[in-house]
Amino acid sequence: MHPLVRDLYKRAIMVGRDYPHPRGIEFVRDAWKKALRDAQNYHPQAYSADPRGAEKELRKAVGRGRYAIREMIGVIQLKKYRTMRRRYGAGQLDVDGESKRILDACRDLIHEGN
Amino acid sequence: MKILVGVKRVVDYAVKVRVGANGVDLKNVKMSLNPFCEIAVEEAVKLKEHKKSNVSEVVALSIGPKQCQETLRTALAMGCDRGIHIMTDKRGDYMELQSDAVAKLFQKIVEEKENDVDLVLVGKQAIDSDCGQVGPMLAGYMGWPQATFAANVELDGDGLLVERETDQGTETIKIPKLPAVVSCDLRLNTPRYATLPNIMKAKKKKVDTYKAEELGVDLEPKNKVLEVFEPPPRKEGIMVDDVNSLLDKLKNEAGLIQ
Repeated sequence: MHPLVRDLYKRAIMVGRDYPHPRGIEFVRDAWKKALRDAQNYHPQAYSADPRGAEKELRKAVGRGRYAIREMIGVIQLKKYRTMRRRYGAGQLDVDGESKRILDACRDLIHEGN
Repeated sequence: MKILVGVKRVVDYAVKVRVGANGVDLKNVKMSLNPFCEIAVEEAVKLKEHKKSNVSEVVALSIGPKQCQETLRTALAMGCDRGIHIMTDKRGDYMELQSDAVAKLFQKIVEEKENDVDLVLVGKQAIDSDCGQVGPMLAGYMGWPQATFAANVELDGDGLLVERETDQGTETIKIPKLPAVVSCDLRLNTPRYATLPNIMKAKKKKVDTYKAEELGVDLEPKNKVLEVFEPPPRKEGIMVDDVNSLLDKLKNEAGLIQ
């Protein structure tokens, strides 16, 4: 295996440990192994005539892989931020606008009834 | 300027915890860096990287068992220069080690082991104990000014300009002169993710280890935990047909309206 590809897989697994999926690291491992073996992404036979071109195409493919890892990191950060905001922030302690309107309407109806 | 950042090793935010015989069951549970502590580390590193700052060093401090070394490695990978690990086997989730002891340990480090710390950055609260007390307690013990729930921090001459996020809105306060303690809220920044090359570099950075018992601090819990239990499961919701039946239910069954 090309050392760049091995390094790419190691990076993917390192990030995959925090990836928010019900199956977790297994999902990441399966998806990445499948993608790395996929001939659509890179196949050395396509460039057997031109070894320098083959190396260049491989590096391009590794670049696309690293982009995919950056996207995974984005998903992890977003999920964490949204969960933390839901749990700890977002004006939790005051009554939000919609609930306030319902409660006010209820109060008016009760007073009207009396 | 030297910055000390507190990092805590807590149960990962995405884990569904179980309550065992002795509090929350921590066996084989995924642990990671407290999200608010990550925000504090990111702020410290950002201050260091800022062109106009004169931050010489960012030191990360963690209290806990030997696995805290991994937590410190993550903080070092995010950009801290050095790590301090206070070894203790006491549980940090309020069961054995409580905020008072932690604040006193921080004080010991700042006063005796690390001279000229100008800024202590901590997270707003830890997601396991949810106390939010270490920052304010430390400021009290040291006699330093404090700014909690910081949503924006700027260096301003000899001091800081901090925007605080409260329930009523945002207020800006000025700390005229450092040293100070700042606790970081969610909106402060987006913490960077420690990638493999940075983690490799972090392995070479220095981590000092001290034993908590040898630092001469009273580690006994000041509050006693009587009971730990899971919240009752949420009851199913019911659909109502019109406003009158909603009012009827609110009045008679829920007892929310007189």
